[in-house]
Amino acid sequence: MSTSRDRILDRLRAAQPLAVAVKPSNGHLPMVPLGGQSPAGLRAQFIEQAEKLACIIHQPAAGTDAIQTVLGIIGADRLILSWGLEHIGLPGFAEALATSGIRATQAREASARIGVTGVDACLAATGSLVIATGVGKPRVASLLPPVHIAIVRPGQIIADFETWVALQHRNGPDDFRAQASQVVISGPSRTADIAMQLILGMHGPGELHLVIVGAYRGNI
Amino acid sequence: MKVTSNAFIPVAQVALLDHEMRRSVHEGTTTAYQKRLIGMFQSGEEHGEAMRQQAAQAKRRALSRLPQLLEQAEANLTANGAHVLWAEDGDEANRLVLEIARRHGAQSVVKSKSMVSEEIGLNHALEGQGIEVIETDLGEYIIQLAHETPSHIVAPVIHKSLASIRDLFIQQLEMPPTDDAGVMARFARQVLRAKFIAADMGITGGNFVIAETRTVCLVTNEGNGRLVTSLPRIHIAIVGIEKIVETLADYATLTQILPRSATGQSLAVYTHMYNGPRRSGETDGPEEMYVIFVDNGRSEIYGTKYAEVLTCIRCGACMNACPVYRSTGGHAYGWVYPGPVGAVLTPLLNGLENARPLPHASSLCGACKQVCPVDIDLPRMLLDLRDDLFQQGHAEGIWKWGLKLWALGNQSPLLFELGGRAARTLTGGRAPRKLPGPLRGWSKFRDFPPFAKKSFRQQWRERRGT
Repeated sequence: MSTSRDRILDRLRAAQPLAVAVKPSNGHLPMVPLGGQSPAGLRAQFIEQAEKLACIIHQPAAGTDAIQTVLGIIGADRLILSWGLEHIGLPGFAEALATSGIRATQAREASARIGVTGVDACLAATGSLVIATGVGKPRVASLLPPVHIAIVRPGQIIADFETWVALQHRNGPDDFRAQASQVVISGPSRTADIAMQLILGMHGPGELHLVIVGAYRGNI
Repeated sequence: MKVTSNAFIPVAQVALLDHEMRRSVHEGTTTAYQKRLIGMFQSGEEHGEAMRQQAAQAKRRALSRLPQLLEQAEANLTANGAHVLWAEDGDEANRLVLEIARRHGAQSVVKSKSMVSEEIGLNHALEGQGIEVIETDLGEYIIQLAHETPSHIVAPVIHKSLASIRDLFIQQLEMPPTDDAGVMARFARQVLRAKFIAADMGITGGNFVIAETRTVCLVTNEGNGRLVTSLPRIHIAIVGIEKIVETLADYATLTQILPRSATGQSLAVYTHMYNGPRRSGETDGPEEMYVIFVDNGRSEIYGTKYAEVLTCIRCGACMNACPVYRSTGGHAYGWVYPGPVGAVLTPLLNGLENARPLPHASSLCGACKQVCPVDIDLPRMLLDLRDDLFQQGHAEGIWKWGLKLWALGNQSPLLFELGGRAARTLTGGRAPRKLPGPLRGWSKFRDFPPFAKKSFRQQWRERRGT
């Protein structure tokens, strides 16, 4: 007995070749042609684009300053959602949280106001964060709380989506698929469904802080 | 969803008198149209046009190898731990979803926006079995509360004013009265957050499926898509079979051109790639992931001269650009897909006899092709559908005879001239206020120009002195 699957595929195969003109791929132009791609140039481009998306940018000089920046945003809260702290890449962050009496959880804690995560990459062309899932990198940390703090480390800012795709190819398909999902986040959650008015924080975080660690070293 | 496309003209006539709706649609479409222009051409017109052709070729390449890529995607998704199912039509797709719900004891479902689920009437099927379904895209949620259907594929409530949404929230959700859209959205966020937390099952569509990497892709702005695929135990992605793309590189082009075309954004706020269920040791994400490939008429289009319409990425740009859609709004089109692409898809998926007026719901101005991110030749298809209507005997008698008469007159110089003289004599050379018979409708909203004192042919003869 043929299945629905077979019948669908048979119908499609029977209709080939298709009456649509097709050209072979001759490479891919990037969607955003970037000029210079020096680390400083990419960083500047990333910040410019992220600010356009209403992200709040912090540029602490060193790791210890970054921790102070994050504690400043957390304020008086005593519970935060976060990635496993070892994945965030801020040495001393766990101790600083403990000293301040702040508990970090990876659980689905609906009441937490703040979520802290690292990123897997940033895209300069569009001001976006790439976040992959994995053990110690729960989805809820960048999703449930109304405020998301993302820590960006030096070297994580790459040019654009196309560069990220090339990196996935270089790392191989197994690496890509080992992650259950990837999400490219471009700014705070938003909607314009009510009379085309832009509202931030519809379902995801409405406030997105990007803490870019490492001093800006001028034009490289 | 019931098809009421044959009532296009009477429904459109009513819509044209609804000034509040027309204002909302006009503002929504023109804003989106302008934003698209900025988004698409921020690196210059030439670059934007090149990207459009790159996107078109990516989709056409995938379409030309559709059955092979579907098999490749199936094998790969299964290897990733997802379950792949196939549905020939809407009923089968609904049955598959119900079986999954039953197997996992799911009683409550949260959904992110999916046009194919509208197409198959999924909510109705689930509610019929006592399963609670909540639409979580704000626009779709408003539609669900109002018991309406979406009137635009990207902005489902483009036809609604702030005041009507406010009244709906007050009546249905007991929202404290406010005219602040931000307060209204936050109120909806709270109501829906509780639904996300409680849901057993999440249902999404899929904007793209990447054959190369075994990945189902989704774009959302609100974050509801992420919640739907992160909190419930089960994730079902219902995907039309035409959503396949070959490679991650093609996907990079398409997932960037989609939001540019739809809202002018460089990327949607959340551009998701799903490679299967949660991996061992993870604390959230679905335990099971199902992908349902839905045909529902698409394989019948595949072998025809309309195959190219299967490359549509559902950005809504053709609606925003269309003078007919801008005037009538989406409901007149009578099914899930309105606007130019709907005028092509609806007859193809539901039968030409069930959507006779739609191929005519266009001035053939060509704006839809011009803005299409994958360059679908919609005007050509609308013309071909008109021809099909005629060939299949669906053309109304008056048009059939009228066109025959017109053709006759145009084939004979003598008849053509006599016709012109007759019209001039009958009107006394003045512009007629109303045209007679079946032409009445045309002059209802337009002024007919006065006849020239002498016809072109007369002048020609006089000037040449013959």
